[in-house]
Amino acid sequence: MNILFSLVWNATVETLAMVFASTFFSLILGLPLGILLCVTGPEAQGGIIPRPILNNVLGRVVNVLRSFPFIILMILLFPLSRIIVGTSIGTMATIVPLSIAAAPFVARIIESAVKEVDPGVIQAARAMGSTTMQIILKVLIPEAMPALVSGITLTIINLIGYSAMAGAIGGGGLGDLAIRYGYQRFRPDVMFVSVVVILVLVELVQVVGNKISARMMARR
Amino acid sequence: MSISLKHLHRAYGSLHAVHDISLDIPSNTVYGIIGRSGAGKSTLVRLVSLLERPDSGEIYYQDKRVDNLAKDDLIAQRRRIGMIFQNFNLFSSRNAAQNIAYPLEITGLAPEAVTRRVDELLDLVGLTGRGKAPISTLSGGQKQRVAIARALANDPDILFCDEATSALDPQTTRSILTLIGDLQKSMHLSVVMITHQMEVVRDACEYVAVLENGSVVEEGKVVDVFAKPSCATTKDFLANLAPLVEQEDAKKQDMIRWSAEGGRYTLRFRGEKTGEPVLSRIQKTYDVEFNIRAGGVQHVGTEDVGTLICDIIGEPDEVDKAVAAMQLSGILVEEEGLNA
Repeated sequence: MNILFSLVWNATVETLAMVFASTFFSLILGLPLGILLCVTGPEAQGGIIPRPILNNVLGRVVNVLRSFPFIILMILLFPLSRIIVGTSIGTMATIVPLSIAAAPFVARIIESAVKEVDPGVIQAARAMGSTTMQIILKVLIPEAMPALVSGITLTIINLIGYSAMAGAIGGGGLGDLAIRYGYQRFRPDVMFVSVVVILVLVELVQVVGNKISARMMARR
Repeated sequence: MSISLKHLHRAYGSLHAVHDISLDIPSNTVYGIIGRSGAGKSTLVRLVSLLERPDSGEIYYQDKRVDNLAKDDLIAQRRRIGMIFQNFNLFSSRNAAQNIAYPLEITGLAPEAVTRRVDELLDLVGLTGRGKAPISTLSGGQKQRVAIARALANDPDILFCDEATSALDPQTTRSILTLIGDLQKSMHLSVVMITHQMEVVRDACEYVAVLENGSVVEEGKVVDVFAKPSCATTKDFLANLAPLVEQEDAKKQDMIRWSAEGGRYTLRFRGEKTGEPVLSRIQKTYDVEFNIRAGGVQHVGTEDVGTLICDIIGEPDEVDKAVAAMQLSGILVEEEGLNA
């Protein structure tokens, strides 16, 4: 029992580390990309600096990356992990492909959240003499905040799922535990506990995310 | 600050939203621009407020040409104009005070100075102490007051009102128009009011331009236009003036109808004429009788403008003489189907 506990505990810590690090980095990549997708888009949908060609190219790149099967993208990105973290095995190494795989997803979610901002409010901000940067930082992001929080919640949940898959190719964490012990060593108890912990994590993130988003809406 | 538009054009594809508009908007007054939806009002206000550039033509604020400003100058110029909207367009992520603070923040004003100015502005629009209120808790009228405070934060010379009262009930409309009128006088603003409500023009504007299919079809002082409308669109607007909008002065009454069917003649007269017994004099001089169907006197700005709808009964040449005599004494006579 003690051994099972410490196995699951260590794997949970690894999963959390992977998920939160990759959420952080995928936001760093995806947030500017998502905002760029929105502001370069059509004027009626928050496009404050419409650039149709750039918008089209970015949109296609994001779509290609999003439709790539995650597990293959991870394998393709291992060399990059070796360059950035020095290894292609283990929890740290998985953060690189996880972040990059989630970034296009984050970009689309941010884009759709920001597009929901009332065009009239953006027009008012322009009429008052806001610069493009001021509109992005002081209007678009704050106005879209509840939707952004929902989007980030969804990203974290997706990354918990992705991180379990990353376990299959030596990433560590709960997915790795479930496959190596539960599947390969015939330990259904380990498999069961790992899956339960993943479910609990997902539920926890969802509840907390909903709470934050609802509280933001209530203050408006 | 006066605004002058010279031959403005703006088309979207084959639609000429604004077609060769030239206007001189005097400073320190309230100027109304009225038109039905699709007449080009929204496009015109977007051009004049520098949100959009015209395809051709020029816009001057005082003597300064502003339609072709480079990016930085454009942003600086926009900070010196105020604008309010039909749907208020307030930031839902900010409370009332933070909304008013926005235009001050973006100019880089120090936070203490921002707070001080915001308090002044809240007082100015009658929302003292409501600064911390979230926008969703405010009524329509209060939201428009916040928007007015926000528009005036940087002490602009010009205030654009884009259908600013169209989403408000008549009573709130009146209080907002009064507020704008008071602020216009105390801050010496040039107010440009875009609207589709003739009541707004009557109650708040000194000048009016009537827009139709992207062009100005009539323009002038509101009293003149009310007393002597020259085009069909204007007459339509006047005919549909909502009788339910009560004016606060008992003297300012709306049209009263005695008969369901309209008369053949519409008589319009203004100022001192509203007190003169012109009709009975004419009735005595010529062999005609007046059958009055509807009539009333409206208070426009500081003057009275009267309207009578009536039939004139008599021999055709006597009627013509009577009409000529009325026109001679300053009454505008329109005969249905001839002058409309």
